[in-house]
Amino acid sequence: MSNAARQAAKAVDVPRPAARTPVATKLTPSAIWQSFGPVIVFAVVLLMVSVRNPAFLGGTGLSIVAESAAPILLVALGQAMVLNIGSIDLSNASISLLGAILLALALPGLGIGAPIAVLMAVTIFGAINGAIVAYAQVPSFALTLGTLGILDAATLVTSGSETIYVSQNQEIVTTLYQDRLLALPLTFWIGVGVAVLYWALLRFTRVGQGMTAMGKNEPGAIFSAIRTRWLKVLAFAISGFTGGLAGVSIVAQAGSASASGLGSDLLLPGIAAALVGGTAVSGGLTNPINVIFGALTVAFVPIAVQTIGITAQAQSLVYGVFIIAVVVMTTHRSRGAIVK
Amino acid sequence: MALSADGSRLRARNDNTSPRQARASATAQSFSLRDWMGPASWLLTIAVIVIVFSLLNPRFASVENLRNVLVQASVPLIIVVGTTLVILMGSIDLSVQGVMGAAGMAWILLVPNARGGTDLGAWAWPVALGVGLGLGLATGLIYTRFRVPSFVVTLGTWNVGLGIATMLYGDDLLPSLTSEALSQWPTRLTLGLPNGFWLSAAVVAAGVLLIGFTHLGRGILAIGNNEPMAVVNGIPVARIKVAAFGLAGLLYGLAGVLATMELGSGSPGVGAGQLFTVIPAAVIGGTALSGGQGGVLHSALGVLLLIVLNNGLVLAGVSPDYQSGVFGATLLLAIVVVAWPHRDRLRIAK
Amino acid sequence: MTPTIEPPVLRLTDITCSFGPVTAIRSVSLEIKRGEVVGLVGENGAGKSSLLKILSGIVTPDTGRMEINGAVCNFRGPKDAFRAGVGVVHQEQALFTNLTVAENIDQHRSDGGMMSRLGLQSWSRVNRDAQAALDKIGVKLNPRARIRDLSFVDRQMVEIARAVCIDPTVGGTPLIILDEPTAVLEREETAVLEREIRNLKAFASIIFVSHRLDEILRVCDRVVVMRSGQLILNKATAAVSKDELFHAMAGRDAQVVHRSNKRIATDATPALAVRDLCRKGHYRDVSFEAHPGQIVALVGSNRAGCGSLMRGLFGAEAFDSGQIAVGGRNVSGWSISRAVKAGLAYVPAERKVEGMVGGFSAARNIALVHPGQAAVGPFLSPARCDGMAQTWFDRLDVHPNAVSLALGSFSGGNQQKVVMAKWLNSPAMKVFLLDHPLRGLDPGAAQTVNAQIRQSCAAGAAVVLIPDTIEEALEMADTIIVMRDGEISARHDMAEAAALTVETILEAMV
Repeated sequence: MSNAARQAAKAVDVPRPAARTPVATKLTPSAIWQSFGPVIVFAVVLLMVSVRNPAFLGGTGLSIVAESAAPILLVALGQAMVLNIGSIDLSNASISLLGAILLALALPGLGIGAPIAVLMAVTIFGAINGAIVAYAQVPSFALTLGTLGILDAATLVTSGSETIYVSQNQEIVTTLYQDRLLALPLTFWIGVGVAVLYWALLRFTRVGQGMTAMGKNEPGAIFSAIRTRWLKVLAFAISGFTGGLAGVSIVAQAGSASASGLGSDLLLPGIAAALVGGTAVSGGLTNPINVIFGALTVAFVPIAVQTIGITAQAQSLVYGVFIIAVVVMTTHRSRGAIVK
Repeated sequence: MALSADGSRLRARNDNTSPRQARASATAQSFSLRDWMGPASWLLTIAVIVIVFSLLNPRFASVENLRNVLVQASVPLIIVVGTTLVILMGSIDLSVQGVMGAAGMAWILLVPNARGGTDLGAWAWPVALGVGLGLGLATGLIYTRFRVPSFVVTLGTWNVGLGIATMLYGDDLLPSLTSEALSQWPTRLTLGLPNGFWLSAAVVAAGVLLIGFTHLGRGILAIGNNEPMAVVNGIPVARIKVAAFGLAGLLYGLAGVLATMELGSGSPGVGAGQLFTVIPAAVIGGTALSGGQGGVLHSALGVLLLIVLNNGLVLAGVSPDYQSGVFGATLLLAIVVVAWPHRDRLRIAK
Repeated sequence: MTPTIEPPVLRLTDITCSFGPVTAIRSVSLEIKRGEVVGLVGENGAGKSSLLKILSGIVTPDTGRMEINGAVCNFRGPKDAFRAGVGVVHQEQALFTNLTVAENIDQHRSDGGMMSRLGLQSWSRVNRDAQAALDKIGVKLNPRARIRDLSFVDRQMVEIARAVCIDPTVGGTPLIILDEPTAVLEREETAVLEREIRNLKAFASIIFVSHRLDEILRVCDRVVVMRSGQLILNKATAAVSKDELFHAMAGRDAQVVHRSNKRIATDATPALAVRDLCRKGHYRDVSFEAHPGQIVALVGSNRAGCGSLMRGLFGAEAFDSGQIAVGGRNVSGWSISRAVKAGLAYVPAERKVEGMVGGFSAARNIALVHPGQAAVGPFLSPARCDGMAQTWFDRLDVHPNAVSLALGSFSGGNQQKVVMAKWLNSPAMKVFLLDHPLRGLDPGAAQTVNAQIRQSCAAGAAVVLIPDTIEEALEMADTIIVMRDGEISARHDMAEAAALTVETILEAMV
């Protein structure tokens, strides 16, 4: 029997006395990554691009990155909140696309009420996801894969597979994109505001503490009378709501929405941004502020890739490698644990 | 020393039931879903669907349409065999669409196509299948070596595959098949049935034999049933996992080539929507996502059911836009039905 | 063939084994002859399980020698043990439920056949060999049946068949270890099993572990008693009395209990009252009361249902029938959050998994249930969390004195102090449910935790305790409730039973 198998055998059966518990020092690689990684990665990518193309920093380069980062950031923040409780939401990018289409359809009729109505609707979609995960106790990746299919169909059907142009009241949302603060669009600043809000929620409230506790150790949270089911519903509702905001930012940028247009491919960039932002897939570890840098980095990838001289077609390959590399680097591996 | 703690820990890993609980549920189990939803009842369900849809549209039951269904089913049937190998271990593989894109693109660029370029003839096959196998093995190695959850690794492989396909595609002319013999091969009939279906039937048969009659197959089932015990019993768990992911990649590659032939031209999105067909199909066929239960035949019947359902809906006049919704809803319903009886205050579902 | 002196099936010489600072097995020597059935008894934590783990290859002893059928064994894993002919029938069965009987029996055999080398499963060989093994122990089972379709006794028979199916390259007499095989069986099934054991004697030696002494005396040729990791008694069944066994297990002569300031308050409303509580397969008709300031100890062997009862009281597991009353009020729709609101606290036996969130700082753990002054409405102040935690660290003397360190990196004793602090942080605690609170703790930490338990009692809380040892119960409790097979088998009020001994309690347990 191999050594590894033998250790696994020990882990299964032998009560390990307390004295042998590995003492986690404060500066584990993953802890360093969690605090500074996202900023450093962003800085490195920025530096790399600036060296190759000095005009980038001086010109409108950064605002272009922030423009495309806004929807990615919003989707990633929702994903980070769900990853934090130890689940995953594969449907939230589809929620944002459906939100965008509903918004484009509703704006002419409802005016300022349209974004509010859409945000309420997508929050409910998210909450339904959470309720099924919590009460039917199904794995979230399988469930949200199912809802992803349903939402995609809903997107095609509501849009009639066509691009929906906002004929009236367009300015209600497009100002969010056109108005600038420090040369960056308001949609990006909304993302920053939401990130700060979620950071505060996790750090300064009992609800946030309960969510993180559940992500770190769900049985421990259950036995501490934390209402884990309700918190699951809440986390998925937050993911839906933030996805809806991403939908708003899509319409703000494009002035239209379609099932295959802008924002139709946010799932992977969203997950990548959350992971690059230091969120752990195993749960209990996220910092929404760092997710901002994660999203900026991911939005940078197409530009950076071109600057280095690789074709733009490599973008999806880079996302894929990014996801694997970040997860490999940051996953906390305990000996003998079963990974499925 | 903590003695009873050991017991409960072992128990927690062994089917999550104490012997007493298992005893209590032993009688209930004889009426469980698993038993009455066996292959026979699935065939019955498919028959019912066929009858209902034939009443809605007489063309449904025509020989022509049934051949059409078999052609449509051939690609997902090949895929589902690979996915089932992975799901039976309790892992998951989301990479199918990317791997299909990469392998399909590699293949079409190496056979006579509109772009010209290299023509390897029959050698294009091993190259394309090698791309699939390579991606699968890489997935398996990353999964086992770095011990990261399989859904994240395969999410990554999905995109790596898509990226490779897009890069191979480049900005050039559409690489469409110039050889009619190749583009018509999947739909051409042999002994009254389309070639594509014969190929997928052979793959399904090989999958059934693999699970039933090889150490690899039995090892996959053992891992899915109780992985810690498989480790303790000296089953080469890591090697089996890598092999299963590798085989899955190989089959996705084969499916990518077949789908490219049917399409007649190369496209990175050649596998679009397949993930939504095969995972719901496996689950409703009785292959549990928790592993160890179900099998290749179960999943294959699930695929046939979904394809027949989809074909019937289209013939009944439902827009194809609804397809992913129907499959998604099927998946949702299937996992909820499977999980519902096991709900418990202390059960953890991530 | 000349009749040579046959080596014993098992010979242990001076086996010692320790886990960290804890010595689980202390120079144990034992011999088992061919065809002998040896009963192994001992209290919880006496070292039985550790000994079995050594025999089954899960744990390697630190020193000592193990010979099986005359050959010295250094098992590097359970597979080696199986090959050498040691078959363990676990209480928690170790079978792949989705595979067939034959495959499970075949699990540990090496097969050098042609088909095997090609990676193919030779079903005919597997089924044939399994059938031979099943025939050998005289059990009629279809080798092609799936384990999940079998009854419990049948599954045990499969494990026994696997055990006797020794690799032909090794040979010799198999040693079969039955680890509390009857704990989950009904009466008739137990009778079947006992008959099977007698049949097995023809070709195997058996170690039989049970907490039922009657059974041991009925089935075994010889009884071995373990206590604190040592072999205390080793005698033929015919030459030993039940009293003698109790005596050996308990260790001391009629130990008289010294216990001062007993708090009896039968007239007051009980903090926790349980009436006829039942959960199928776990416990039934359990009734008791715990008054404010009183410690009630639940004593029983591992399978007696104490732990399950505790979870039922805390709302973590549902119960089928019966009534729980907290502070004189019957509860309904019992759940963990209601239990906590009603003033219950639970310290689980599985501390690392259930008792705490190891990745959180100690301060966050303390603020998890009752944040107290650290919270203003739904909001939390990390700074005040730390301050609050510091107060507890000082009061309970937690080391290292770093409230922001992840709790998982503290030692067991200090973790337990923090877990206690988490619950004590509420001023309105009414009932403490403590499941093995001293497990894995060093004496110093145990003392601190015990002092806290007493202090909470003095402050008017009731305590329900599952102790690690009977001595702990005698030392701490005002009332001792003994459970056996899910039922209360004895009750002792410590105020009246001045001369209660460990032996008396053991008699009700086994």
